[in-house]
Amino acid sequence: MGLVASRGGKQKKGNVTSEQEEEEQPLQAVLVADSFNRRFFPISKDQPRALLPLGNVAMIDYTLEFLTSTGVQETFVFCCWMSNKIKDHLLKSKWCRPTSPNVVHIITSDLYRSLGDVLRDVDAKNLVRNDFILVYGDVVSNIDVSQALQEHRHRRKVDKNISVMTMVFKESSPGHKSRCEEDDVIVAMDSKSKRVLHYQKTQGLKKLQFPMNIFQHGSDEFEIRHDLLDCHISICSPQVAELFTDNFDYQTRNDFVRGILVNEEILGNQIHLYVTQDGYGARVSNLQMYDSVSSDMVRRWVYPLTPEANFTDQQGQGCTHSRHNVYRGAEVSLGHGSQMEENVLIGRDTSIGANCHISNSVIGNNCTIGDNVVLDRAHMWNNVHISSNVEIHQSVVCDGAVVKEAVRLNKQCVLAYNVVIGPNLSLPEGTVVSMHHPEEEEEDDDDEFLSDDQEVGHSKDKTRQKAFNPAEVGPEGKGYIWKASMNDTEDEELAQCLWGLVLNPDPESDSESEASEESQDRSRSVSPEIDDVNAFQLEVLGTLQRGLEENIVCDNLVLEINSLKYAYNITLKEVMQILTRVVLEYPFQQQGTQLTTLQYTGSLLPLLKTWSPVFKNYIKRAQDHLDCLSAVEELFLEQDTHQTAMVKVLMKMYQLEILEEEAILKWFSTGATNDKSRQLRKNQGLQKFIQWLKEAEDESSEEGE
Amino acid sequence: MPGADKETDLTERIEAFLADLKRGGSGTGPLRGSGEMARETTYLLRRITAQARWSSAGDLMEIIRNEGRRMTAAQPSETTVGNMVRRVLKIIREEYARSRGSSEETEQQESLHKLLTAGELSEETFREHFVHLKANVIEAINELLTELDGTTDNIAMQALEHIHSNEVIMTVGRSRTVEAFLKDAARKRKFHVIVAECAPFCQGHEMATGLSKVGIETTVIADAAIFAVMSRVNKVIIGTQTVLANGGLRAVNGTHSVALAARHHSTPLIICAPMFKLSPQFPNEEDTFHKFVSPHEVLPFTAGEILSKVNVHCPVFDYVPPELITLFISNIGGNAPSYIYRLMSELYHPEDHKL
Repeated sequence: MGLVASRGGKQKKGNVTSEQEEEEQPLQAVLVADSFNRRFFPISKDQPRALLPLGNVAMIDYTLEFLTSTGVQETFVFCCWMSNKIKDHLLKSKWCRPTSPNVVHIITSDLYRSLGDVLRDVDAKNLVRNDFILVYGDVVSNIDVSQALQEHRHRRKVDKNISVMTMVFKESSPGHKSRCEEDDVIVAMDSKSKRVLHYQKTQGLKKLQFPMNIFQHGSDEFEIRHDLLDCHISICSPQVAELFTDNFDYQTRNDFVRGILVNEEILGNQIHLYVTQDGYGARVSNLQMYDSVSSDMVRRWVYPLTPEANFTDQQGQGCTHSRHNVYRGAEVSLGHGSQMEENVLIGRDTSIGANCHISNSVIGNNCTIGDNVVLDRAHMWNNVHISSNVEIHQSVVCDGAVVKEAVRLNKQCVLAYNVVIGPNLSLPEGTVVSMHHPEEEEEDDDDEFLSDDQEVGHSKDKTRQKAFNPAEVGPEGKGYIWKASMNDTEDEELAQCLWGLVLNPDPESDSESEASEESQDRSRSVSPEIDDVNAFQLEVLGTLQRGLEENIVCDNLVLEINSLKYAYNITLKEVMQILTRVVLEYPFQQQGTQLTTLQYTGSLLPLLKTWSPVFKNYIKRAQDHLDCLSAVEELFLEQDTHQTAMVKVLMKMYQLEILEEEAILKWFSTGATNDKSRQLRKNQGLQKFIQWLKEAEDESSEEGE
Repeated sequence: MPGADKETDLTERIEAFLADLKRGGSGTGPLRGSGEMARETTYLLRRITAQARWSSAGDLMEIIRNEGRRMTAAQPSETTVGNMVRRVLKIIREEYARSRGSSEETEQQESLHKLLTAGELSEETFREHFVHLKANVIEAINELLTELDGTTDNIAMQALEHIHSNEVIMTVGRSRTVEAFLKDAARKRKFHVIVAECAPFCQGHEMATGLSKVGIETTVIADAAIFAVMSRVNKVIIGTQTVLANGGLRAVNGTHSVALAARHHSTPLIICAPMFKLSPQFPNEEDTFHKFVSPHEVLPFTAGEILSKVNVHCPVFDYVPPELITLFISNIGGNAPSYIYRLMSELYHPEDHKL
């Protein structure tokens, strides 16, 4: 018996020491409980997105549970829009109990306008001391990120803080319903180090372009992947907050990732990827995603975060799980002949009438549903009243809404808080009904972030003054059809995307955005060498022009060209080729391309004389001569009407002792590589010139003897 | 102050244990063996006994019953937790009765007479205060812990009585108890083991590697081949997650088909199950009986589009009716399924069946 006790003691000690080790470096997380967009308007006008129920549990609870189960010990929750509601919710939840292993700090400010603002504030307040996990308040996940965390820490140890961020992605093939089309990305990464080389959102793109230079970075294997689902979970180094402070134009993580990748060579920061096959992770970024994440949750993909687990530890939230994924809360009553077919979650104290058909739906607490109701893919929140003979398909019905008799909600309808609909009405597909009048939206536009109660009351007064349209919401209905204001194009786009599906993609704007993306890409994809060469050529041209106009000494021109050479990182060979080209093209540049050959040579030959010291400075070795000659050849191959001028140019250069006869002869005999240059060499003038050169050589050698 | 500290420490431990239970079993059934789970529960209950504030046995029982209710609610499929709570409650009853000196009370036996006078029994209030009760209870819990530590060895010791030379034995999935049982027999005898892989989690693969490491001739078969292979098998020896009150089993998925195949070929089906797996639960309490985990193993998430068109289920447990079972081997010896009710009344007090 003593043995057992001592063993128990040992075990306890082991636990304590491991806890202490963890306490030295508590894992921290930054949870952004605001989406900084209006995708969920008008629903999120009354309730912040993080508190919207998913499977009858607020979304932020899923995120906190995910963080806690990963071993996060300190979480900073940043709220902006309706921060009071989030705060109240959290203070009541199990996360703020003294026994919670995850200490939750709530930080509110009305000034946050983006993720960037939040992270800048993290930096200003100096909240994080170590690697932290960055998530949004609407992420539902059960991924075990501890391995990603380990990899991240290992990389940071090995590479001296080069890796600033590890993004967690889940493998899922395109077409999966839980893939948010807006978040579709294509990622190029180094297969060994998992380093992200290129990151691009693919929404609305028909062509993808990758800059070539990303594949020149020494690694043997690359992966270009499109089968990734962005979980919106990132493991960040403390530098991330600093980088956001340094780059005050970064608004989103997307900005950040692109910024880091573009400036990778300058700042030396890298971003890595962690791709997981197990687990589930998705962000509820629009109603389409809400629908699919909710159904995934009911189908137990997020196990152990299932409805019957009651992980929030709330009294009375528990429910039972039976066949075909039917979950029932306490005190649920089901009328005679009603069927719950599959994937149904029913909250506590809800009563359902007779002969109802319910499938793939989530029904909140305290709802009443009449007889002969058909619900398919319906999401009903709390205290909803549905009368008899109602049909609802793939729609969201928010708290307190009332649907009167014989109403039919077609696909993708939304009934926001406290709306009354009906009776005898069929809402067309995609209708959004809200108690907020769409026009009031414009009026509060300027101060929408000041969400004072006073203002809400104020707007309510206003809504009362306006009459409801019985054609839209039925004879007893209360509410307005929500249409985003037409002046604001951005808003319009967002309203269309409430369900995430752009119903009528505007072809014009589509192609426009594509074109702009493409042009951006093109400028990016051109390899930097060519860019530099072009710029260098222009600069050399400018320099020579000025030299001619202001009579600058050739030595100074050489100096200037040399400095340009270093500025653009050009090799000596290229300098010479460019110089030759610029000089030979100079007459065309000045007097247009319509010059006759005579005019051309007439203006070129004096120039050659003036600039001969410049040439001599660059043409020294035998190879230089050949390079210069090939540049000459190249140019005259392009300007084939002026090929007769070539002899004169070569002659002049020979006379000016820029080129040596041996080099010319060598070039003539060996340089021909293709038909055109062979053709060139058959030019009579050139043949004669060579002949003459050979004779001159013979003569000189004879003289020498 | 130190007392308060201790108490918050205790509640923290309980909360941590509850959170563990809730998250436990992601994917491949229980993350930890149920033996470990039983020990951990008992450690925690001993701690509660030692550190919580109570003055009489009634208080203590109330506290433990409350915590036990929360623990079982956290992970209803993990029956060992509830079983251990019941065992500790029974210990407290016995120690209380012993302190009062009424030794005949400890012999809990259900007779017709007892049932008739049951009303009087439950009026027992456990309000009397005894100085040594705490120490006695803790000592008895320690004894229980020793018993738990020895269960696997006790079961393995009986292996030679059941496994003979050159036999072909079939098992399914992975059970630590069965693994120890077979390994123990392999020290003296040579025999052949066929392991059904038990898809989709395929714990059978692990089992097979474990067995082959100690030199047992092992064959892994697909679950579909169970019936075909059964005719050559001399004995089926399997583990279980829970032994139900009617003598049935709640065991890993696929066990039922093994049991039916064994019955068809009249092959004996032997269950290795330590006593702490015996639960007063009946198979008709459907809500807590099943456990469905993420369908990932059946049809991976990467499958894409098809997932929105089909329903995928991944249940973890099977029910095996008692008629199919030949023998239970527990740490206190072999028993027939019909004897389970008797063991039940020895281990648990009838009033504790429902926590």
